[in-house]
This record gives sequence, structure tokens and C-alpha cells, in this order.
Amino acid sequence: MRIVQISAIWCSSCLVMQKIWNHARDVFQEIEWCLLDLDFDSEKVSKYQVGDKIPVLIFEKNGEEISRLIGEKKEEEVLEWIKQNIGG
Amino acid sequence: MDQTKHWRLSFLLFAVLFLFCPMVGNALEQVKLHLFYSQSCPHCANEKELLKELEKRYSNLSIEMYEVTQNPEYSNLMDQVKKTLGTENSYVPYTVIGDTGLTGYNDNIARQIEHFIERYSKEKSVDIVEKVKKEGYISDYKEQEDSNQEEENQNNTLPITVPFFGEIDAKAISLPLLATVMGAIDGFNPCAMWVLLFLISMLIGMKDRKKMWILGVTFLLTSAIIYLLFMISWLKVAISITSITWVQRGIAAIALIAGVWNLYSFSRSKDDGCMVVGEEKRKKTLSKIKRITSERSFLLALVGVITLAISVNIVELACSAGLPLVFTQVLAINELSTLEYAMNIFIYIFFFLIDDLLVFVIAMMTMKVSGISNRYAKYSHLIGGIIMVLIGILLFVKPEWLMFQFS
Repeated sequence: MRIVQISAIWCSSCLVMQKIWNHARDVFQEIEWCLLDLDFDSEKVSKYQVGDKIPVLIFEKNGEEISRLIGEKKEEEVLEWIKQNIGG
Repeated sequence: MDQTKHWRLSFLLFAVLFLFCPMVGNALEQVKLHLFYSQSCPHCANEKELLKELEKRYSNLSIEMYEVTQNPEYSNLMDQVKKTLGTENSYVPYTVIGDTGLTGYNDNIARQIEHFIERYSKEKSVDIVEKVKKEGYISDYKEQEDSNQEEENQNNTLPITVPFFGEIDAKAISLPLLATVMGAIDGFNPCAMWVLLFLISMLIGMKDRKKMWILGVTFLLTSAIIYLLFMISWLKVAISITSITWVQRGIAAIALIAGVWNLYSFSRSKDDGCMVVGEEKRKKTLSKIKRITSERSFLLALVGVITLAISVNIVELACSAGLPLVFTQVLAINELSTLEYAMNIFIYIFFFLIDDLLVFVIAMMTMKVSGISNRYAKYSHLIGGIIMVLIGILLFVKPEWLMFQFS
């Protein structure tokens, strides 16, 4: 299981979300987190076809995308999304 | 109903009518309107049509007309009245109500004519044309009136009681309050925030606090100056053309379109996040910022930051969807003193920059970039949309309501 986190250093929503992501990482330590920057990792990011809004969290199982969470979300929404995807 | 009761009721009715009659009779002052016109002028003919209607509508209104091209004495009278009231042209139609002179005729002047008829129906005024007929040109009339007006304005404050603040003057706070709200809403528009955040991230990497402060402050100051220049330029234009109806209607249309666009943006923004600017444009700006922060010559870095702020804020102005334009138009309608114009523009720009200032100062103090949630931007679309639609409608139908003059 892996979560790909796509953000940018210029994105205020990404900065606001940083604390929530850190907490989620602590809660679900069994999940691998892959951090990508929209500008500095543009090659890797290009295969995910990010739309017009960031941040984006992509949940992958066995190398395949099963769900994505776009934009600023509350902590409970992020935790719930991860929980659902682990179970699903 | 017995006879006594009937009489008592009739007496009461008459008493009430009797009490109100003198009030109704005395409520309206006689208003005399003087129209200086020329036979060949089409605007004068249009105004005459309006005056015919107004004469029917206002029983206390009397109208005297003076044809100036055929009658030199009327032309001379008009010149003396204009000179007395401080008007330097000799255009017709020239309408005088009380001691107010209105040159030209359009929808806006028509509204003003009605406004002054209603105003002088309620309060006594000097009939300046009659006064000039008797006394000739009055050289110091304008100065005397200005000082009387100033005194009247000082007495004409509208106090309202606000919890914790006590009594405050509504006239004094209305425009600054509008400046605060519109400036803040404009500021939360996130078009240029990403550039500032990237700049701050790169500045933090410089490790030279003094340079960081200077470059950051220069960026913010340049942004303020661009806004200031735009608002002053539009204010100058707006003041000189405020009586031209199609310009006002054009601004009203811009306000309405921008307001609807803002409301539409609010309704469709389901994911609060950062908008991703086109890759090519983003990469260009990012490499520009990297060049600035890695520039060895401090002077060149400074020039770079200024040009960056100029280009970003020109985009920001377009992105602000007419907010500064509409606010400046509202200022122009209010006919303020230069100091009041400057104060209101300053408040607008200060609140426009307040989120950028906060982010910058916090980053410089903590050496860590922090962001402001984009949820505020979403709600700024909603509030901004409502304000713009309201201003747009008022500019179309009741522009005088946007004159925060309660006297």
C-alpha cells in the first residue's frame, strides 16, 4: 500500500495540510508515503495527470491507483479516506 | 352607534385632520427652477420635456426659462450666476435650483434635478438667480457658502452606537468600512499568492536576513504602488467623467458581471485547494524567482524583484475581477477631499496586502513558510460576489445610494 502525495512549495493549501498529513503518517505507519513536488519532480508527477487543483493524495494498492483525494480536507476526512482504502 | 359616540368619532377625525393639515401645508417649500437654454440645442429640448413632467408632479415647483442666444440680458444674467457659483464655462442647458447650478443634460443630471427639487422642498434655500437679478455678481458667494457648508457638515454627523466602541459617526465609517471589506476580499483572491510563497521559500534559503527583508518588502511595496497607480489613474478619470451616463453604466455592467462570476466561482469550487497555473508560465516565473535569489549583485536582485512584482500585479489586477475599479468608481461618486480619497485608497491597499504581509512577516520571524487556507478565498468569492452585484445594481438604478453622505 502506498500513498503518493503531490504538493508544491508555493501552494498555501499544501502548507496548511502538512500538519494533517504528518499526523496521518504517524497513525498509519504501515503505509508507504511517496512525496512528490509538482515542479521539482515534474517527470514523476506527469504520469499521474494532476488536474487544476493541488494538493492531491493518490492511494495505490499493488501499484495501481484505487482512489484520490483532491484539495484541502479536514483531518477526520483524510483519516477516514485512508481507513476506507485500507479496508477496500 | 348612538349620536354622542358618532359626534365624538367625527370630532376626533377632524381633530386629527386639523392637526395634520398645517403640517402637510407647511411641509413643502416653494421651489423655483431656472433654466437657461438655447433654441437650437437638442439637450435643452430634452430637458424641457422632463421639466414639463416635473411641473405636473411637484405642485410646489415653478419654472422660469431664459433663452440666451436671442436675449443678451439673459445671457448676461447666466454669466453672472455662473460666475457667482464658480462655474467657468458658458454651456447650456444650465439649470439652477436654489443655489445649485447644473450644466448640461443627461440621465444623471435629470436624476440630480429631481434630487435637488426634493431636497429644497424640505429645506429653505437661497434663490441665487433672484439674488443675482437684484444684486448682480456676488464675488465672495462661493467662499461664504463653502464655509457655511463646512460648518453644516460638522454639525451633520450621524452618530450610531456600537457596542464597546460607543457613539461613532456613520458618515465617517461607511467608506473606510467598504474599503476594508473590499480590500480584504481582493487580497484573499489567491491569484498572486503562489508567487509570494515561492519567493519567500527561496528567500529563506538565502540565509541572509537583511537581504530577505529588503527583497520581500520591495516585492510587497511594489505591489502596493502598482495598485495605487491604477486606483489613482482610474479615480482621476472617474471624477472627470462621473456625469457621463454610459461610463457609469459600463462600470455597473462590469460590477454585475464580476459579481456573477464570483458567485459562480463560489458555487463550483468543491475542492478547496490551490489552482495550478499553466506549466510553462509557472516554470518561467519560478526560474525568474530562482535567478533573483541566486543573483550575486544585490542591485540586480532588487531590480528583478521589482519587475517580478510589476508583472505579477498586472495579472493580479485582471484577476481581481474589477474590485479596485468598482471601489474607485464608488469613491468618485462621493466627491471627497483629496485627503479623504487618499485615506480610503490607502485603507483598501493595506487590507488588500494584509494577508501577504502576515505570511511574509511570520515567515521572516520563524524562518518557516506558512500558508493561509484557501477556504477563505472561497468565501471571499461569495462575499465579493454579493457586494459587486449590489454595487452594480445600485450604479444602474440608485447611484445616489452609494453616496455615503447622510446629510
